[in-house]
Amino acid sequence: MSEEKKTFVVTRFDPDTDDAPRTETYEIPVQADWKVLDALNYIKDEVDPSLSHRWSCRMAVCGSCGMQVNGEPRLTCKTSLSNYGSTVEVAPLANFPVVRDLVVEMEGFMERFKKVKPWIIEAKEQAAIEGTHRQSPAELAEFKQFSMCINCMLCYAACPVTANEPDYLGPAALALGHRYNQDSRDHGARERNEVMRDEGGLFACSFANECSEVCPKNVDPAGAIQQAKLGNVIDWATSFVVPRGGK
Amino acid sequence: MSARARVDAMKSSAAPPTRTADPSPPDHFPGRGNYLSYVAFGATGILMWLAAFQVLRAIRALGAGEEAWNTMLASFRHPSYVVFHAFLFVGLTWFALRFFQVFPKTQPPRMGPFARPSDTFFKVALNGAFVVVTLLIALVLGGAIL
Amino acid sequence: MKTLLIKLEPIIWALFGAGMMVVALLMPGWLLMVGVAGPMDVLWAEALSYDRMHGLFGHPIGRLIAAAAIALPLWAGAHHIRHLAIDFGGIARDTVFAPLCYAVALAGSVAAVLAVLAL
Repeated sequence: MSEEKKTFVVTRFDPDTDDAPRTETYEIPVQADWKVLDALNYIKDEVDPSLSHRWSCRMAVCGSCGMQVNGEPRLTCKTSLSNYGSTVEVAPLANFPVVRDLVVEMEGFMERFKKVKPWIIEAKEQAAIEGTHRQSPAELAEFKQFSMCINCMLCYAACPVTANEPDYLGPAALALGHRYNQDSRDHGARERNEVMRDEGGLFACSFANECSEVCPKNVDPAGAIQQAKLGNVIDWATSFVVPRGGK
Repeated sequence: MSARARVDAMKSSAAPPTRTADPSPPDHFPGRGNYLSYVAFGATGILMWLAAFQVLRAIRALGAGEEAWNTMLASFRHPSYVVFHAFLFVGLTWFALRFFQVFPKTQPPRMGPFARPSDTFFKVALNGAFVVVTLLIALVLGGAIL
Repeated sequence: MKTLLIKLEPIIWALFGAGMMVVALLMPGWLLMVGVAGPMDVLWAEALSYDRMHGLFGHPIGRLIAAAAIALPLWAGAHHIRHLAIDFGGIARDTVFAPLCYAVALAGSVAAVLAVLAL
């Protein structure tokens, strides 16, 4: 069995001992069908147990393993080593503060999410005896794509606005807000739109489209945001005519 | 020339429990691949201003009288001016084509009772409109009609 | 000023969107004819003559088109330039750049209306 070797240049950062992130280089044997995550796990298991990185499902549904691979935000469990040459650079996601090694601070992301009120806002409380909400396949189709987000944060790492505007809610949060606005069961568009047109909201987006380029689940957050902008302008205009707006 | 991430990018309201390292900017901004296309698209804003101020100049010259108008037209004959206008033309045509390329995804799945047309429909309609309107303008300003 | 701009963002964005469509459809034709073909004498001799052009743009529809072709691209350009400034200079510059860019667009729009009224 021929053994292929690759070199991994991995960002390391220990807040107790390092002033700033540095890199360490590991040359390891790799198998042809490995993903980047397999290599990182090999490094941790066999070479350097101190390496810290997030991962879980290994099948691109949990969103844990996002990192910069040769400068691009990727899910490491979904990124084949065969795409790369003899040297692979692995760094923590761009635009996020770094907790340790390849682990980024997520709390800012969680806070932005909550701001768009990502839950069904009812017009009135519906008693269980009235039955379930009814939703047709056509109504589901209007938001389903935007509900596929796995919160992997690759879109934030790719976004030039996130790099420059600390208040920006970001692609995933805004796309999720749009998802709920589009949901026929939801009646909270008016109050959600107020948040989404506030500082750091929809109109901070400059349509770089990088978020959609890197999204591993084809959510197309850029499309969601541009559609939401149009909806928001219409909502803003009609709010002067119908103060307590419907859907 | 590259952008730097702010040190407070993606910051949370409370300080994290341990010391964190500053965020890094997106690696390939602004010079690689899609980022470059995006920056160029944004830069056409300058071309828009230049073109709009040229139209303003022309309308003001028309309002000022025949001599002002002819003086302006004469100045347009200078080779540098022709090159400048040609550059604006090429730049804003590129802008138009890229705008039409991204336009379909900005449209919602439903506008009132009407479902969203297909991407092909948008492609044909927008690029077709560009050709038809440019032709119309050429025929009008060129002296063939009206 | 910042609060005012946030409040006006929806309408600024709507002007920006309309401006992009106006630029895309009207500007290339104008630049080609008046800026390149005309100076190179490939048009009919009287095509760009004062009388003819004044007749075209003096008509109410012509005035409307002229005003739109100046004002809306200025708003589109302002929005683009503002965001480019943020991308390269950070959000702190926005407090200066945003009012500046939109002030130029506003001034140009007023100038456009005055210019078409003077035709």
